[in-house]
Amino acid sequence: MDTAAYSLADIAGSRFPLLEYAPDATVIVDPHGMVRLVNAQTERLFGYYREELLGQRVERLIARYHGNQFEERSVYFADPQVLPMGVGRELYGRHKDGGEFPVEISLSPLSTTEGTFVAIAIRDVTERIAFQQRLQELNAQLENANRAKDHFLASMSHELRTPLNAVLGFTGTLLMKLPGPLTAEQERQLRIVRSSATHLLSLINDILDLSKIESGKRDLSFEPVRVEEVIADVYAALSSSAQEKGLDFTASAGAQLPELVTDRRALHQILLNLANNAIKYTPTGSVRIDTVLATWQGSPALEISVNDTGIGIKANDLQRLFEAFEQLDPTSTRRFEGTGLGLYLSRSLTLLLGGGLNVVSEYGTGSTFTLTLPLVGHTS
Amino acid sequence: MSARILVADDNVANLELMLYLLRAFGYAPEGVADGVAAFQAISCGNFDMVVSDILMPGIDGYELARLMKSDPRLKGTPLVAVTALAMSGDRERVAAAGFDGYITKPIEPQTFVSQLQAFLPAGPA
Repeated sequence: MDTAAYSLADIAGSRFPLLEYAPDATVIVDPHGMVRLVNAQTERLFGYYREELLGQRVERLIARYHGNQFEERSVYFADPQVLPMGVGRELYGRHKDGGEFPVEISLSPLSTTEGTFVAIAIRDVTERIAFQQRLQELNAQLENANRAKDHFLASMSHELRTPLNAVLGFTGTLLMKLPGPLTAEQERQLRIVRSSATHLLSLINDILDLSKIESGKRDLSFEPVRVEEVIADVYAALSSSAQEKGLDFTASAGAQLPELVTDRRALHQILLNLANNAIKYTPTGSVRIDTVLATWQGSPALEISVNDTGIGIKANDLQRLFEAFEQLDPTSTRRFEGTGLGLYLSRSLTLLLGGGLNVVSEYGTGSTFTLTLPLVGHTS
Repeated sequence: MSARILVADDNVANLELMLYLLRAFGYAPEGVADGVAAFQAISCGNFDMVVSDILMPGIDGYELARLMKSDPRLKGTPLVAVTALAMSGDRERVAAAGFDGYITKPIEPQTFVSQLQAFLPAGPA
C-alpha cells in the first residue's frame, strides 16, 4: 500500500482497514526497534493489549532471534526491500504468558510523512510445522513398512523354496530311479507330484515378480536384443510339450528383424508365458509365433504375435483376462488353470517395456495375443 | 579315489537330499548341520570341495566363506553355495562373501552333481 502521504496515526485509523484486519499479526517498528503500531491479530496472537506493546522493543514479541538483529535491521534499513525471514531460520513468537510458538516473519518498508518504518508481518506456523512433522513421521513409517515388506518377501521366498527343494529333489531322485525301479503307476503319480510342485514354484516366482514390479523394484536392463534369439529360446523350451500334445508348433522370425532395445529377461518371460498358454489351451491344431514390423502410436514398432487354434475366449471374459488372479475366480470358466498371474504379469512387464499387449479371440476357434514393442531409435 | 566333499545344511531333508545324490553318483560325502561343525570339519579334514547352505545357525554361510577364504590353508578349496536365497542381489552377495559357486534351491536333481563337479579341481570321480 502506498502510505508515503500519510502519518502513522492515519495508517492506524480507518483509512487502512486492511492493516487492522490483516490475517497476520502486523507490527510497525521504528528504526530503533520500538513498536509504534500493532493490529488486532497481534493482540490475539501474543495475548497483549496493544497499549502494553506500544513503545516497547520488538524483541518482547520475538524470541531466539537468529543472528544479530540490530545488524540485520540496519542492513535492512540501508536496503529496504520486502524481506521474508524465518525461512530456514528458527524464529519464535513469545506470548505474554511466556509460551513460545514458531513463526514466519516478513519485513517490508513503510514510508510515512514521519519517515520510514518497518512493517513486520508475523504468522503463526505451529500448525504447518506440526503438519510437516507428521508428514515426516508418516514418510518414515512408510519406509519402515516398505522395508518390512521387502524383508517379508525375501524370507517368504527363502522359506517356501526350502521345503520345495526336498519335495522336488526327492521326487527327482525317485523318477531318476536312483533308489530302485518304479512301477508305471508309481512313475505316473510321481510325475504328478513333480508337476504340481513345479507349478507351486512358478506361483511363488510369479508372486515375487509381481510384488517387485508393483513396488518398482523390478530391475530392467535395456540393451540391444535379437528378437529371433529370444523366440528361438522360447521355442526350444516349449517344443517338447507341444510335441507331446501333437500340436504343430512353429516360430517364424523374419530374417531382417531389427534389433530391439529392451530387457531380454522380461521379453523372454512374456513370450514364454504367451506361448505356454497357447499350447496349454490348444487341444488340437497349431500354435504359431509370428513377427511383423508395424506402426504403433505413430512410430515404428515390432509386433510379435502368438496365434493358436485353441479353445478361444468368450467376448465377455476378454476384458477380465489381464487381471490378477482372475482365472482363480471360481465363477469363471475353468479354462485358465494357471497361476492366474501369468497374463497380468505379462501385461505389467509389457508396460514396463513401454509396449502394448492385446488379444483377439474367437470362442471355440482360437486366440491371437499380440505384443507390440516400439523400435526406439530405429527406422522401419 | 573319490573326491572328499563336505556338505553343510541345517535343514535335515535338504542335507539328506544332497548327500543322497552325491552318493548315488559315487562320492562319499560328509554332512554337517551347521556352520560351526562345518568349520571344525574343514579345519581338521582335507576336503576337495565344500558345499554349503547360507542361512544356518551359529556360523552362517557368509561367515564360513570369510573364515575359509582368509585362511591360507583353506582358501584354495572350492566353496559352493546351495541356497534358497534366490532374490535379486543374492547371487552378488554370495559371490562377494567369497563363494566360488552359487546354486539356488530348488536344485535340479538330474544336473546337481555335474554342476558341483565343475568346481572340483581333479574332475569327475
